[in-house]
Amino acid sequence: MSVFALVDCNNFYASCEKLFNPKLKKLPVVVLSNNDGCVVARSAEVKALGIPMGVPWFQIQAEARRYGIVAFSSNYALYADMSNRVVEVLSGFSPNIEVYSIDESFLNLAGFERQGYASYGMEIRQRVADWIGLAVCVGIGRTKTLAKLANHCAKKNLAGADGVCDFTVMCGEDLTALFSKIEVGEIWGVGRKIEARLNEAGIKTVRELRDADAETIRSRFSVVLERTVRELRGVSCLKLEDAIPDKQQIMSSRSFSALLYDLADLEEAVASYIAKAAEKLRAQDSLAGTVQVHIRTNVFKPEVPQYQPAITVPLPDASSDTRILTYWALRALRRIYRPGYGYHKAGVTLMNIVPKAKQQLSLFATERASNPGSEKLMETIDLINQRFGRGALRLAAEGIDQSWQMRRGNLSPAYTTSWEGLAVVRAR
Amino acid sequence: MKTVMTIVPFSSKLLLMFEPPTGLLVPLLDAPHLALPLDAVKVSAGFPSPAADYEDKRLDINEYLIRNPVSTFFFPVQGESMQGAEIFDGDILVVDRSIRARHGHVVVAFVNGERLVKRLYRRAGRVALMAENPSYPALEVEEGMEVEIWGVVVGKFKRLVA
Repeated sequence: MSVFALVDCNNFYASCEKLFNPKLKKLPVVVLSNNDGCVVARSAEVKALGIPMGVPWFQIQAEARRYGIVAFSSNYALYADMSNRVVEVLSGFSPNIEVYSIDESFLNLAGFERQGYASYGMEIRQRVADWIGLAVCVGIGRTKTLAKLANHCAKKNLAGADGVCDFTVMCGEDLTALFSKIEVGEIWGVGRKIEARLNEAGIKTVRELRDADAETIRSRFSVVLERTVRELRGVSCLKLEDAIPDKQQIMSSRSFSALLYDLADLEEAVASYIAKAAEKLRAQDSLAGTVQVHIRTNVFKPEVPQYQPAITVPLPDASSDTRILTYWALRALRRIYRPGYGYHKAGVTLMNIVPKAKQQLSLFATERASNPGSEKLMETIDLINQRFGRGALRLAAEGIDQSWQMRRGNLSPAYTTSWEGLAVVRAR
Repeated sequence: MKTVMTIVPFSSKLLLMFEPPTGLLVPLLDAPHLALPLDAVKVSAGFPSPAADYEDKRLDINEYLIRNPVSTFFFPVQGESMQGAEIFDGDILVVDRSIRARHGHVVVAFVNGERLVKRLYRRAGRVALMAENPSYPALEVEEGMEVEIWGVVVGKFKRLVA
């Protein structure tokens, strides 16, 4: 019989900030989205204040001052390293693990019953706390959907104990009673829209969805939701997705710190997004056959003139050379750019991605397409940037001061990934 | 294009590690490895090298300092209070969280909002964080104090030439 665990870090971003900064110990901490816009993570203290997820930072300035809320910009370098460490610890508990998001992983626990799954869950929780210093909750169930729900129960203290909730040891009546208390919207895969439709159909709790007629759900909603129903009943339909397939599309897109009006600024931004995307492309040993560029004005300000063009350019030959991709992206950008608009965001998408080994040369393949010198150069650039930091070596097209870069005014140091960012300990 | 291979000592599955809290031997995650180009060593068709059978892998300082990479973090030191433990201003500490702190360990501790390096004293009901320099007094840990032992200092390093 299958058994899954979902391990989820509590308040992950905020916890990472607290881990290295003792001054934050009991303070309410929030982490803000790109450009320091919205609250994307909250420490337990902030949750207790009733500040909701996603609220714009400027809207809660009064509360922030009153309660002394400390805000950080998203420190992706730190969160990514801590996330990798957690995954590494989890890999010691099961050979089958699916990294579901930066702070959540599914583990296949089949065969690890020993003294019971809950105590195994406690062991996982203890090891991550000891070794990494982060608190996790563990939900255990016969299916991924149940494991996710058990995790919700562990986190909200609805069932289980000490951050671990094991559905596999709960009897039928207890589960039914528990499921009657949980809203259907808490189920994995049931989004706002589906929740509203389910409510209309009289299905408000997890129990009601579990006991609904599967065929009816399939015909009135979807096969996907029918599968959810079966999973809630303990029939495992979703397997672990162990290997992350190579990306079929690579996108790099950001909003700017301020509106951009000039083509030259947009060109710098697009060139730098291409550089980022191309680096990812090379990391998976692939080539892109098509480049798409889009720019947009601020859709949240309908009172200003709006313009959201995108353009797709098929390349003569698939490439992973930043110079070639930049050349075509900039040509595309000049085609869609119109003066007089305030641009808020730009992005590039690399598409038609093929493995390097399967490169198809065009009939009139230019020499550049299969130029070994190009490969060597890109390899060298990537190595230098890995060693000296992203963007240490870049095309002049990306600009020097990059004033359009997103604001990250309250960025904490990269405590674990840069020598300059290490946290000093005092010997006093 | 050079083909790169990863040299892992024995099989990564065979590397076992003694895990202090449980006393179990567990597989060592992230075995130290070194990537070398396959064609770095030229093979000649002439007389075979008499050293060929004795080739060892080059020493890796990570391997020496770090037993458990996943739980290891670095902290630079500022101050003179730990000189007796041969920890000097500017040294970078290697801190392993997977080791349970015991009496006598040098530890990184968070005390009242500060990151400190101290020697842990825990004997006969007395818990204190000791300096290793006569001009710094011991810090007695009393009820209600906010003290968190963050990790155990297992080593240190410093580069002398820029």
